Amino acid sequence: MSNPSCPKRNPDVSWRSIEGQAVLIHNRLGEIQVLNELGTYIWENLDTEPLSLARNIAERYEVSQDEAERDLLEFVETLRASGALADDEG
Amino acid sequence: MTKGERGTPLTRLYDQAFRARHPIYASIELTYTCNLACYFCYNPVQRKAQNRVIPLSERREDLLSFEEMVDVLDQLKDLGILYLTLTGGEPLLHPRFWDIAQAAKDRSFALRIFSNGASITEAVADKLQALMPHCLEISVHGARDETAEALTQVKGSLQRQILALGYLRERGIRVFLKCVVTKLVEDQLEEIRALADRFDYPIYFDPVLTISDDRQLYPLELRASDEGIARLYRTSGLNIGNSPFEREPEDFNCSVGTGVLHITPFGDILPCVQWKQPVGNVRQTRIRHIWDTSPLLLAAREANMKSAQAIRDTVEDHAYCAHCPGLSQLRTGDPLRPDEQYVRVAQIRSHVAKEAAGRS
Repeated sequence: MSNPSCPKRNPDVSWRSIEGQAVLIHNRLGEIQVLNELGTYIWENLDTEPLSLARNIAERYEVSQDEAERDLLEFVETLRASGALADDEG
Repeated sequence: MTKGERGTPLTRLYDQAFRARHPIYASIELTYTCNLACYFCYNPVQRKAQNRVIPLSERREDLLSFEEMVDVLDQLKDLGILYLTLTGGEPLLHPRFWDIAQAAKDRSFALRIFSNGASITEAVADKLQALMPHCLEISVHGARDETAEALTQVKGSLQRQILALGYLRERGIRVFLKCVVTKLVEDQLEEIRALADRFDYPIYFDPVLTISDDRQLYPLELRASDEGIARLYRTSGLNIGNSPFEREPEDFNCSVGTGVLHITPFGDILPCVQWKQPVGNVRQTRIRHIWDTSPLLLAAREANMKSAQAIRDTVEDHAYCAHCPGLSQLRTGDPLRPDEQYVRVAQIRSHVAKEAAGRS
C-alpha cells in the first residue's frame, strides 16, 4: 500500500451505525447495505489515513500488517463497486 | 424498512435496535403552513370551511429558527437517527426548506419528505434531484378533479400533482404515493392505482382517518362506507397501510417510545406524530436527555409493548385489527383502548375473509 489517499463516502449514501453495524442507504439506487463488524469499523474510519487504518485493523483484529492492508484494500474496492464511495475518489 | 423485508438481516438489526431503545426514526414538522386545505387534515391551522379552533397558530412567531433547526439535526444525528422525515403542513413552503434539507443530507440522514406535491414545478423538481432525498411521500386525494378539489379545497390541485409526478419520474426521484380512503374516493380506488401506475410509483391505501390534533372529530365525517372499505380489501393487488415504512407487529406494535421521536415547528418533542403529549422542548432540554429520562416516553414504550395483548383481549376480530397507541391516547386518554375505526375495519376485513373462504 503506497501512500494512498483516503477514500471519500458518496454524499448520496445515508448511513448510521446501529447496534454496531453500519447501515448504508443508497438514495439514488434505493438499495440498502448492512456491513459486518470489520466493514463497519473501516466505514466509520474512512477519514483515517489508510496506512494508519491498516495498522489499527492489524492491532484490533490481531492480524499481520500485510493481511490488514489486503483486507482494507479489498473492502474499499467492494465499497467502490457498490457505489458507496464518491466518484471523484482516485 | 419496506414491507416484505421481515426476517432479513436488516429487519433483525432494526428489531435489535428497538429492543435496545436505539431510536432510528425522527420526524420534524417544519411548518403548519400549507397550500392546500384538506378537509380531513389533522393539523390545527390552515383551516377554511371546517369551523375549527386554531390554538397553535397563535404561537407562530415561536417557530424554530434555522440555527435551532441545525442544532436539532446535530442532536438527532448524535442520537443515532437514520430516517429523518421533513413534514408539515407543506414542508416545501418553509422559507429555509432547502437549507434545512441540505443540512440534513450533509448529516447523512436518509431523508424522507412528506409533501402534497402541488407546489413542485420543474424548477423545484430540479432542486429535489440535486438534493436526492431517500424518498418523497405524496398524498393523492382522488383520480378525478372534482373529488380531489372537494377535499383539498383548491382548484387544480390534482392537475398540479399530476404534473409534479411527471417531473419527479423524469428525474429518477423515488416517490411513494399514499391515499386515505374517504367516502369521496371509495369508488375510484382502481382509477387512483392506475394514476400511480402511469408514473410507475407504488401507492398505499389507508382506510383510517385520524381526528384533529385538537381532538375534533370533523375528519371522521369523510369516513368511507362499510362497502367502500370492503371493496378496498376485495380488490386484489392494492397495497394497504399508511406507509411503506410501517412496521408489522412483532415484539412491538409500532415505534413509539422505542424507536421514534417527533418534533413540532415550535420545538415541542412528541413521542410520535400521533401521540400529542409533549415530553419536552428542544429549547429547554437536550433531546438525548429527554430520550433517556422521560417517564412519558417510557410509559409510551410500555403501552406499545402491551398493545398486541390488549387488542387480543378486547377485539373479537383481533387478527385483522391494527392499533395506534398514539391515536387511542389522543382520542380516549388510554393508549391501550382499541380505536373504533380500527375495530370497524377489522370487522369488515374479517367479513371479507370469510366471504373469500366461502368461495374457495
